Amino acid sequence: MLAKYLVRRFFASVIVVLGVTLITLLLMDRTRGTYVPGIDLNPNLRPDDIERLRANLGLDRPFYVWYLTWLWNVLHGDFGRSMIDGSPVTSHILDRLPNTLELTGTAILLGVLISIPLGVIGALRRGSKTDHTLTVVSVAGFAVPQFWLGLLLILLFSVTLEQHGLPWLPSSGATSPLGGGDVLDRLEHLVMPATVLSFFYLSLWSRFTRSSMLEVLSQDYIRTARAKGMGERRVVYLHGLRNALIPLITLVGLELPGLVSGGLVVEVVFGWPGIGRLLFERALQYDYSTVMGVTFFATLLVVAGNLLADVLYAILDPRIRYA
Amino acid sequence: MSILGQTPATEIEAPISTFEGAATRHAQSYWNESWERLRDNRIGVAAGALILVLAAIALAAPLFTLFLTHYEPYGIDLLGTFQAPGHPHLLGTDELGRDTLTRLIYGGRVTLGVAFLTVGIALTVGTTVGLVAGYYGRWLDDILMRIVDMVLSIPAIFLFILMSILFRPNPITLAMIIASVGWGGVARLVRGEVLSVKQRDFIMATRSIGARDVRLIVRHLLPNVLPVLIVAASLGVGQIILIEAALDFLGLGIQPPTASWGNMLTNSESYFFHSIWLVIFPGLTIFVTVLASNVFGNAVRDAFDPRLK
Repeated sequence: MLAKYLVRRFFASVIVVLGVTLITLLLMDRTRGTYVPGIDLNPNLRPDDIERLRANLGLDRPFYVWYLTWLWNVLHGDFGRSMIDGSPVTSHILDRLPNTLELTGTAILLGVLISIPLGVIGALRRGSKTDHTLTVVSVAGFAVPQFWLGLLLILLFSVTLEQHGLPWLPSSGATSPLGGGDVLDRLEHLVMPATVLSFFYLSLWSRFTRSSMLEVLSQDYIRTARAKGMGERRVVYLHGLRNALIPLITLVGLELPGLVSGGLVVEVVFGWPGIGRLLFERALQYDYSTVMGVTFFATLLVVAGNLLADVLYAILDPRIRYA
Repeated sequence: MSILGQTPATEIEAPISTFEGAATRHAQSYWNESWERLRDNRIGVAAGALILVLAAIALAAPLFTLFLTHYEPYGIDLLGTFQAPGHPHLLGTDELGRDTLTRLIYGGRVTLGVAFLTVGIALTVGTTVGLVAGYYGRWLDDILMRIVDMVLSIPAIFLFILMSILFRPNPITLAMIIASVGWGGVARLVRGEVLSVKQRDFIMATRSIGARDVRLIVRHLLPNVLPVLIVAASLGVGQIILIEAALDFLGLGIQPPTASWGNMLTNSESYFFHSIWLVIFPGLTIFVTVLASNVFGNAVRDAFDPRLK
């Protein structure tokens, strides 16, 4: 039963990924006819030079040839070369990936580690001042624009502290340009962007843990556990929290693709050399192959993340039927 | 508890309602009930009122600039750049000497307009697809839902960036770009509702007295998915404002000189050292608006969602 369900989900996922590549390339096809990436670097090119360039980059081929060639190469592990600088797209992605994972991984980890206790506290002390405060903070976390929060942090911890001659945090990049790169230096750069990003996850998951916990605590088996004289601590953590976390796992699983794309705005604000900023900059330059490669990569992760969340959920919650 | 919680409240009465009028009569009482619940939520009502006030200010922008701020949104004053908040510029001026308050008011037109338009488009398309997929089922459902999967599998921000670069948006196309992802979630939601409503006896009864597909969908399915739609719409506005602001901030949305809350922040890093208000006020406006939308959305959900009882 489970195996059949998994196979079906897998093939559905493959179709989805193929469809996404088609949609993305169709979108880009719209500008392909008139544009040569990098042409703005040299305005002195003659028309026949442009023709030759376009042919070199494969931009003169009909759409279906373009798409099928791309697909064929990707299936063989070849993401092509950047149309701007000629280096392999794969190396661009691998270059940026560790930085992005460092940022988003930290944010997601912080989010999970802080939100679960906060959610439990909110549920256990429902209606208390602490609960209300936590609610207000998480409602605010939903409403604050990430890029603005980033700007405010830079204003406060980089600009203002520096103006007053106090120790300040670097506002841009993942390492210092000169002599940077050790652990402390990376941490200094990581603090602000990771805070901004985790604030969002924190708001999302602490609310969710709270309501999930409240629901679980009202279940019959909790009453049974209490009735048989089990200690409150064990009731809450062993029976309550364990069951309350099951839906949270799905939710976190759905955010896993955010490991690659979720930090885009934060990366741009903090000049973080990650995947998101790579896509943003290369899209602005019409670097089709890089854009396709990054989008394909990120989509694969989304689909894999969804699949993983489904599977985990099916394993963890035996009540789920594989329909 | 949880079984009841998952069952739409309408189901209890549904089996009795074999006649067409019955569904409408029931819906009436549901609306009254929900409306009263919403009215009793004071914070929710206050948030909703704030949104209305902001929308009214945006609509009446020319009046405000005529009688309150006395400036034009594009009125450049190169001798009066970076003036601090106070008199005569209540919220100061920007790098071209334009009045910040005036631009915020006009920016509200664009930002709120795009947000409401986006919700409208996403709801219309999503509802239609969801109703059709859920009602007809089978291969049509498979195809439509796979398309939804595809749209929702591309990281949304990637799609927004690609489309914004390729289509150079004005407010209307920007709304279409954001809605091009938003409809997917709505379609899924509506389809799920339709699948459960479709099972009920009154649908079969209606069909057995000879109602056509279109009538069944519009008169009987749609009213039953309306609560979910209202909730989705009111919860969605805040998120859409955030997305739009981020795109504008990145320079991919509304293009200067047209003011929007997001693009007023685009180069604000360069004002950190002398004109903090240019960073504070637009962001604060976005924050307060989204906050009010979310609080109102939550209140609407608590009042209208039949599954939350």
